[in-house]
Amino acid sequence: MHGQMWPSPATAQASVLANDWLLFGTAGLAVAVIVWGLILFSVFRWRRKGQTEGPLPPQFDSNNPLEIAWTAIPLLIVLALFVYTYRAEADVERLAPKPDVIVDVNAYQWNWTFAYQGGPTVQGSFADPPQLVLPLGETVRIVLTSSDVDHAFWVPDFLFKRDAIPGHPTSFDLNPSKLGTYLGRCAEFCGFDHALMDFSVRVVSSSDFNRWRSAHHT
Amino acid sequence: MSPIAEQAVAPPGRSDLLGWLTSTDHKRIGTLYVITSLGFFLVAGALAVVMRTQLARPNSTLVSPHAFNQLFTLHGTAMIFLVVAPFAVGLANFLIPLQIGAPDMAFPRLNATSYWMFLFGGLTVFLGALTSEGAADSGWTAYAPLSEIKISTGLGQDMWIVGVFLVSVATILTAINFITTTFIYRAPGMTMWRIPIFAWEMVATSLLIFMAFPSLAAALLLLFVDRHLGGHAFDPSYGGNAVLWQHLFWFFGHPEVYVLILPYFGVVSEIIPVFSRKPIFGYTGLVIAAFAIAGLSMGVWAHHMFTTGAVDDPFFSFLSFMIAVPTGVKFFNWIGTMWRGSISLATPMLFCVGFLMNFLLGGVTGVMIASPPIDFHAEDSYFIVAHMHYVLGGGSLFAIFAALFFWWPKMFGVKLDERLGKLCFWLLFVGFNVTFFPMHLLGIEGMPRRVFTYPDVGSFPLLNSLATAGSYVMLAGVVAFAWNVVVSTRKRDPVGPDPWEANSLEWWTSSPPPEHNFDDLPPIRSARPVFDAHHPEIAKGGAG
Ligand SMILES: [Cu+2]
Repeated sequence: MHGQMWPSPATAQASVLANDWLLFGTAGLAVAVIVWGLILFSVFRWRRKGQTEGPLPPQFDSNNPLEIAWTAIPLLIVLALFVYTYRAEADVERLAPKPDVIVDVNAYQWNWTFAYQGGPTVQGSFADPPQLVLPLGETVRIVLTSSDVDHAFWVPDFLFKRDAIPGHPTSFDLNPSKLGTYLGRCAEFCGFDHALMDFSVRVVSSSDFNRWRSAHHT
Repeated sequence: MSPIAEQAVAPPGRSDLLGWLTSTDHKRIGTLYVITSLGFFLVAGALAVVMRTQLARPNSTLVSPHAFNQLFTLHGTAMIFLVVAPFAVGLANFLIPLQIGAPDMAFPRLNATSYWMFLFGGLTVFLGALTSEGAADSGWTAYAPLSEIKISTGLGQDMWIVGVFLVSVATILTAINFITTTFIYRAPGMTMWRIPIFAWEMVATSLLIFMAFPSLAAALLLLFVDRHLGGHAFDPSYGGNAVLWQHLFWFFGHPEVYVLILPYFGVVSEIIPVFSRKPIFGYTGLVIAAFAIAGLSMGVWAHHMFTTGAVDDPFFSFLSFMIAVPTGVKFFNWIGTMWRGSISLATPMLFCVGFLMNFLLGGVTGVMIASPPIDFHAEDSYFIVAHMHYVLGGGSLFAIFAALFFWWPKMFGVKLDERLGKLCFWLLFVGFNVTFFPMHLLGIEGMPRRVFTYPDVGSFPLLNSLATAGSYVMLAGVVAFAWNVVVSTRKRDPVGPDPWEANSLEWWTSSPPPEHNFDDLPPIRSARPVFDAHHPEIAKGGAG
């Protein structure tokens, strides 16, 4: 259920998010390598050998075209990144008009309740973290809240988290795209046993989901 | 000396303990700030080493969850409120009057008041550890309702509120002093465009303090009222609002990040030119960039709240991206200063290069998490821990060491040992990167921050062990620094006014400076009057 280092996107939304990571990771690394290179080049190229001071180097202290360029170019880069990121976020946060499954998720110190609208309700215990069962390829609406302090619902393989804040329920959609079982955990520090506030997510086929749902119907 | 300056000269001070306790001399108060913040640094660093030891292996039971939660709360609170910010305040106290050719700060008594409020505030936070339920344990962010009395029942949380409140009021008072001093007390010839970059950065920092810290003070007051007077401001079960705490806190908390870094932009902007033997490149651009960063940083607080689903992410994301532009300008200016210079890699310069290398990565990851889609995964994970330490540890802390090595001779009249200094640098540089680089990967892999333990899965054990090993190397670097202080103090090898052949006015007077700071001043015709006096053949005449 866990074991590889890079999370593998397990929802449609996660694929969009992974692309954002890829773009920013690559662009960030490229910028870092160039600027690191410039820093190290300057230091080693013009390092004073030995103790002798020698004559002063040229005392220039400005270059207007250069300064305009290194303001304008980064500005264009971040504007482009912003436009990309704006679209990606809109994709990820879009709520379907009619979700197939709605789950009311309640976080509390230090466990979770997954209440499927129309049943069943999954209740975790300390020894046995609860499991959120989701159908592959369908749209799942999570309605998230907390009954005590701030928590956060995080599934690393979904590359996504949302805070569970008391008095402020929020909603997001998940479209599971890969069968499997994924680890979930509380990400917002919530007191004594925050570190152990785990759950799991199992993505199953639609038919398996319906079978599971009717078997657990109360 | 101008008439204003003459009035401000204090009567000769005593040099015994009582003299230090009652001093209103900016140099003594600055030195007290610096020493106190280093003391808090040692304690906060030791707490971090205990945390790393607990996290070296999965499922470790060395430290209880309750103790661990106090450890990271105290570590974060101390590093942010009692180390990185007050060190800058101390340095500025010591340097600003010297750099602008003034005999003291504008309000010397207010200055002393600030220091003592800061000290007692800091001690109050730590003394919480002696109460029956221990110190505060809701993190340095003290998110309500977690920090409300229903959940955090202990007296330690109250002492944290009172302590941080005292520190925040002290910081506001200090900001008033810095701004007034820099604007009113400049020596003749020290026009605004000749003020050393460090003093400029402190003006920008002070403006930020002015705008941001009242929000923190208000939030702390409300939290205290919630806890003891039935305020319920942040308690949703009585119509309060948990999101409100985050707004008030981060309205302070994000500008605070720049309060913690702008002074150190100033530090490296002072040191790099000296060891490149060139003037700072793009002085005007650097100053404008400082104020652009300060201005933008007032509008980005909710990028700490992307995952709440309660704010308009694109607006805050856009302004966060924009901060990269003036920050980039500064990087290019520092590189431009080194370009075709005559570079000496003495210890202060080594730490500046380390600052550039580390801070760059913190800046790049900062742009990444300014993108909400990335933040949805990174937020509250070890990726954030890595990012934030690359900014405040690899950045600010490395600049703190650069400043210590650079201005130590001016403060104490002796140079620190160069060989031990280089040893200290390499231990800290290698240790820092071994500790914090793996945390990026831990975060991506799914490790949340502020956990007292983690399961034995994936590469969690390997990366965590690596981080812990790195923290021991950093500890060795701090020991090397402490040893350096002992060795150099014992050697008593006095230095002249200007051991580094530097630029700004503090290097004109003796080391350490006399009580009244200057017997005379050189003509001030550019941003580096001491250099001009020593190189009349190059000095710019007239308008400069
Ligand atoms: Cu939680």
